[in-house]
Amino acid sequence: MAKFVEKAKGLYKEIRTHWKEPAPGNYVPYKEYKDVIFAVGANYAGEKTIRTYIGFWAGCYLMMYHYKLPYLTYSIIGIINMPLGYIWTLIWWFVCDNLGFMQKKTERILYAIYFSLTAIGIAMIAINFTPMLNPTNSLVKYLNGLEGINCASAIKILGTHIFYNGYVGMRNIFWRKKLIPKYGRYKYSLYSDIVPKTIMVFLIGWLPFYKIPDVTTRVWVANLLFAIYNCYGFGNYLETCAENISPNPRERILVRTYPIKISHIFHSLIAIIIPAAIGAFRYEWADINVFRYLIPGVFLIFAVITVIYAPRIQERIPQPPLEKKVGIKFWDGLFGVLSNKYHWILTIVGLLDSLGNGMLAFTTILYLYTFRLSGLSYSLLVTLVAFTGTPPDFFTPYFIKRFSYKQVMIFFQLSRAIGYSLVILALVFCRDNVILCGTVCVIVLIFMEMTQTVPKSIDRDMAIRIRDYQMYISGERLESFAGIFGWFTGPITSFVSLIIPLLLLKFGFNSNWDVLFIDESRVNIVVIPILIDVIGFFLMTIPFLLWDYDAEKHRQVMAVLKRRAEVTEKQAIEEGDDISGSFTG
Amino acid sequence: MKKNEEKTKHEIIEDIELDIPEDEIWTYQIPGLAAPHINREYKNAGIKRALLVIAIVIAVFLSIYFSVRAVSSETFEYKDLGNGTYEFFKFSNTVDTEEIDIDYCLNVRYLKEKESENHDDFYVFEKDESKPISAVREYCFNCDERIKIINIGKDVEVIDGKSFYSCWNLEAIFVDDANENYCDIDGVLYTKDLSKVICYPINHDEYLRQKYGYTIEPAQDSPEFAQYEKDVLTYVLPLETKIVGKLAFNYAEIKNIYLPDTLIEIQTLGFFKSTRLANVYSYIATPDDAYISLPNSLTRIESDAFSYDQDLTYMFIPKNVEYIGHHAFWDTVYDEDGELHGITEIFVELSEDDFHKKVTCGDQWRGKYDYRLFKKSVDVNYSAERKN
Repeated sequence: MAKFVEKAKGLYKEIRTHWKEPAPGNYVPYKEYKDVIFAVGANYAGEKTIRTYIGFWAGCYLMMYHYKLPYLTYSIIGIINMPLGYIWTLIWWFVCDNLGFMQKKTERILYAIYFSLTAIGIAMIAINFTPMLNPTNSLVKYLNGLEGINCASAIKILGTHIFYNGYVGMRNIFWRKKLIPKYGRYKYSLYSDIVPKTIMVFLIGWLPFYKIPDVTTRVWVANLLFAIYNCYGFGNYLETCAENISPNPRERILVRTYPIKISHIFHSLIAIIIPAAIGAFRYEWADINVFRYLIPGVFLIFAVITVIYAPRIQERIPQPPLEKKVGIKFWDGLFGVLSNKYHWILTIVGLLDSLGNGMLAFTTILYLYTFRLSGLSYSLLVTLVAFTGTPPDFFTPYFIKRFSYKQVMIFFQLSRAIGYSLVILALVFCRDNVILCGTVCVIVLIFMEMTQTVPKSIDRDMAIRIRDYQMYISGERLESFAGIFGWFTGPITSFVSLIIPLLLLKFGFNSNWDVLFIDESRVNIVVIPILIDVIGFFLMTIPFLLWDYDAEKHRQVMAVLKRRAEVTEKQAIEEGDDISGSFTG
Repeated sequence: MKKNEEKTKHEIIEDIELDIPEDEIWTYQIPGLAAPHINREYKNAGIKRALLVIAIVIAVFLSIYFSVRAVSSETFEYKDLGNGTYEFFKFSNTVDTEEIDIDYCLNVRYLKEKESENHDDFYVFEKDESKPISAVREYCFNCDERIKIINIGKDVEVIDGKSFYSCWNLEAIFVDDANENYCDIDGVLYTKDLSKVICYPINHDEYLRQKYGYTIEPAQDSPEFAQYEKDVLTYVLPLETKIVGKLAFNYAEIKNIYLPDTLIEIQTLGFFKSTRLANVYSYIATPDDAYISLPNSLTRIESDAFSYDQDLTYMFIPKNVEYIGHHAFWDTVYDEDGELHGITEIFVELSEDDFHKKVTCGDQWRGKYDYRLFKKSVDVNYSAERKN
């Protein structure tokens, strides 16, 4: 006990001493730890709230209970947008990985392209193409045959995609150039997007487009509405920023483990309050007032706190001044990421993980259709399960010391495989004994939650280290160009992620989620996709056997990055250039 | 000591500084890692670019191809049962048809411009009379929003209760008189001997409105409403009916249902979300001699049988009931302005002891209502007498 008190006193003294100035060898004063709690907490809680309740995806409650679009329609829209999406993505990567700073001529060309796209997109949405289409034409016939879509609406959906990419592309260049020098690469978009995003969050609930009786019209209008909503981001930017808060990996993991983890308490609280509040609405989950008042209200509060605290936390990646940064040519960007072997290993892992793509969220089904929870009981159970993962996470620094990344990730995949196997057994053998089945599933979920938080933290930390490594080999982090790996795995993932929706359709799942009240259908809808997922988890252990990027190698990578930053900053000062964006560590 | 060292071998080590010469900062290679490649041309860059483009094009093409294949659906999908007949496996309403025949395998033929001048539509269904349909698979029709009329042919032997799931505009199902297994009574599907009701179409009230000459539903306080209620919102199951099939009346717009005194079973989701259902009556010979609530002959009430039927206010479980499935009366009670509505109490004819001995009850079979911060099940009143 005396030892504990001694330690506590020491910690208190340490915090007081280094409240405003970091300790030698560290980069982050403890005052910033406090700011991380509020900034990341509010950003994370706001982002999770809108991600859970507002989205153009089948499992979103707004879609489930109000828009009621056919399940396959989401996939079809994805396919309509897919071919052109590849082109926009290439341009997007180039702009993002150059942080928006390109040669004048290149910039003008890109602005012209994006402006044209915006104009074309608006025209395609506004014009009624129905009278111009011949229903006996084979392409028209094909499109008319798709679920929730016809040829005329497909043109509008494509127009929406073109408009979205043009408009977002223009904003991307404009705001990056304007805000990155001041706010850094991760949190700048909060400042440009927060106001329009908040307006859209309110409009989503108030615009009565879900009442449109014709499903085809409802689909394209909803797609347009959500495209506009998605033009403005409110991602978990401040957490990413905080993960890059120090060039010292030990300090990074401390920030990740304590202030970031503690900051998630905002979300934990709101995850109890929102469902409990929903339980008080007349139609509970199906009440539109949830989306008119509750969700926008909660979002507004967190958006305001986020904006207040965002300036108080900093990213500290050792990097040259923007004037001296490495300019990434298109092909160099692609070859740069392709020469990163750790991206390849994680790509293979991701590919195997895609075996479960397209399945419905098992926990949603468990809570809403097996247990029939709502209100406070729902909140408490969800929070209990989620909370069980928190205590182990505080020991992440210990696990990083004790085990290698390879060992942790292999354990993680095996624990998921075993956990989901037990869920399958419970679902198959308990059948209509819903309480027993649900109880077994919840116990397994708790086990999986407890065994997943540490690996996930370590994995996120490794993602940052891989970007450090990328910066070492290519001169930039190339976070966007890394998306090329998704293109190579695309054929397989797109194939797999449509197999499960088709299986679900066969078992009765479409736009009406009530089918999950039918016991035998619910079991089929849940069990078969999970079974496929389990196979994936076992296979995912194999690529990790090849992992060899350890703490010592990362330490040297950071030393190289710091040295580059020092030298380039010195050169910039000698040449009389601006040194904004530079951090030497 | 050695063990401790072993245990902490992955410990993060303190920062180091490398004294890299200024002209080598972009080329310095860390032992064990790849060398940096910054602002330098790659070897064989042309070939590498070409190979990368080819790989990307193939990958993109395959992605699109697989995706398109996966979402394309035929209007009609049939499965050969090997006995000269076919199972109707899946229907996708690619042509927005409102009526369909299930007798022989169909094919869609799209009309050429000249042909279509003599037709209302741009397609025709062609029947292959060498391929009779004998079965309709579960979820064959699923969440269709356009189909109004389904005509069942003479050879159909098996129809799953879930075959016409969530066909929101389905008004009537008609069966060929020559069919030996099924029949319909004014658009409601039964087994031939009427012992089981299979499907009361979700939009059957629209069919009845048209039949009785209503364009819209009259206001509840208007003089016509009583007749409207009788014509459109009331349904009497025939005396022969023993079973209400799975999902038979799900989402039905019915206010009053008359069950025969011979009914023995209400299957899963039998009256699921029949949210206007306010009165359940049972009758012996004619609806005029009806008594309130479930029939005395009833033995089984399966899961979710009456879920979400919040207009119901009285539920009496007669003494012959032996099984009540889980969530049978789920969400049939609710709290509004501090007052409970719906089935606020369940009346059971058996005594408490007899009920627990004789009746197998599934989990949460009673309705629950908001009670303080949690939910509470409605009370059960044992040894109750049926209300007059």
